[in-house]
Amino acid sequence: MPADALRIPVPTTANAHPESRAIQSSQRMLTDVRDRTTETELIREAQQGSRAAFDLLVRQYDQAVLRLALHLTGSEQDAQDIHQEAFLKAYRYLGNFRFECSFYTWIYRIVTNLCLDQLRRRKSRREDPAVMIDASGEEMDLLSNVSDERAGANPDRELQRKILGQKIQAALETLTPRERMVFELKHYQGLKLRTIGEMLNTTEETAKNTLFRATRKLRAHLAEMR
Amino acid sequence: MKCDLAQQNIALAAYGEISDEANHQLEQHLLECEACRRDMQAMRGLKTTMALYPVEDPSPAMLAQARRRLEEALDNLPHGKWLVRMSQLLARGVGRLRAAPVMASLLLMAGLGAGGYGGYRAGLKAHDAEQSKLILNLGQPPAAAEDNPAQIANVSNITRDASTGTVKVNYNKLVPETMQGTVDDPRIRQLLLLGTQNSVNAGVRDNSVDLLANECRNGRECDDGPIRNALMVALRYDKNANVRMKALEGLQPYIAEDTRVRDAVLETLMKDSDPRVRSQAINLIEPVEGDSSVREVLHTVAAQDDDAQIRTVSRQVLQQLPQIQ
Repeated sequence: MPADALRIPVPTTANAHPESRAIQSSQRMLTDVRDRTTETELIREAQQGSRAAFDLLVRQYDQAVLRLALHLTGSEQDAQDIHQEAFLKAYRYLGNFRFECSFYTWIYRIVTNLCLDQLRRRKSRREDPAVMIDASGEEMDLLSNVSDERAGANPDRELQRKILGQKIQAALETLTPRERMVFELKHYQGLKLRTIGEMLNTTEETAKNTLFRATRKLRAHLAEMR
Repeated sequence: MKCDLAQQNIALAAYGEISDEANHQLEQHLLECEACRRDMQAMRGLKTTMALYPVEDPSPAMLAQARRRLEEALDNLPHGKWLVRMSQLLARGVGRLRAAPVMASLLLMAGLGAGGYGGYRAGLKAHDAEQSKLILNLGQPPAAAEDNPAQIANVSNITRDASTGTVKVNYNKLVPETMQGTVDDPRIRQLLLLGTQNSVNAGVRDNSVDLLANECRNGRECDDGPIRNALMVALRYDKNANVRMKALEGLQPYIAEDTRVRDAVLETLMKDSDPRVRSQAINLIEPVEGDSSVREVLHTVAAQDDDAQIRTVSRQVLQQLPQIQ
């Protein structure tokens, strides 16, 4: 499952002819097999010291890694640090990768651990949670980048959206790092709880309980703020 | 269902993480519990609210900067690079050490195999020599043959009568024999069935399977009996591709009616090492109404077979299947 989350899905229609569906399905199977084979070859080459192969692997995952780190930390600088450290670690320890799980799960395990460390450091420093910092160190408002595309959008409504957005960020900061991570991976990244459990070295059941606690906390905090 | 459990399931259901059965129980509970219905509404409200803090793709500039930083960090690892290589070598070394017992076992098995094969070849040579002697002795009169030790396979028992001084020896003889007749003759068929199991001479197997397959193709005495079984065994296990090919052709009339035959042919289509045999399996296989295994196997072969021609043919057959069915 995990690697599928990064692949572009082949569009299908409910009324497709069974024959064409079967052909599409076998074509998709072929593409998946080819992709997996290619990735496996790349990993093996990188394990034998090929920097070019490693660069290709980085290109497959770095955008998703950066997106996750940016949303979790709210800081471009921190996200770039996590991105760099994650792939340096991957380069260093690629020889230990034994294909026991997918490469996607392996690299995400590294990234989630680094993000958890960052969230814990921030908790202990009690940083201002509701502000995004860009790469130059300037404060930035993430929601100002979310434009309302409807013609004649109401400015009052925009303001309300921004205020609510800040409240959401503040509510997210009340979660423990682990709750934040499970919520992020489930709600925003759409991963299965089983996969999340694998990434965080825990069970699916624990991930379920953590997600439940996170939603209760968020609901309580957002209700208080209204 | 109690409200505590229901509320936990409401959160999981919002993310599609509960089973169908639990979902059904939850729906039943919601019909009669106002508090949990409100909880459900609140959970939906949370999901809608959280959408106001969306995940943004990193800007191209940020992505480019991150990539540049990583490139530089990787380039500036002169000492680290050496360390990386060393650690990777070490990791591979540890991997090899872990694999050492496996390698030792493989070597042992290879040794045993080589020894066994050598013994088998030596035995074969001795057997051939023995056989040639027997054949040379065929034309001699029985009395002379009885005296010839070359025809004696072994001595099974010896008893001595002390009072008379006579010795009684029980021994077995190896006498090659020939039989002639039509393929319909049950004794000939029995010999042909034995011929399919001749592990030494592929030619004998080839001829036996060919004759039996002909019988099957012509619909004679092949109804769910030892001949069909022998052809299936030959198709699955014979080392010679020509023999397998003939067995396959012999089984063709029974693919539609006999699921065991169909399974054997599908197995051949998936696993046979010779592309010609796999191709022939595709040509001979017929779609069977109500059995999706044919279609599944063709899908798998179309996607995974090593041979491009076979993949293409499988796809073509797949496209024709709905019309045939």
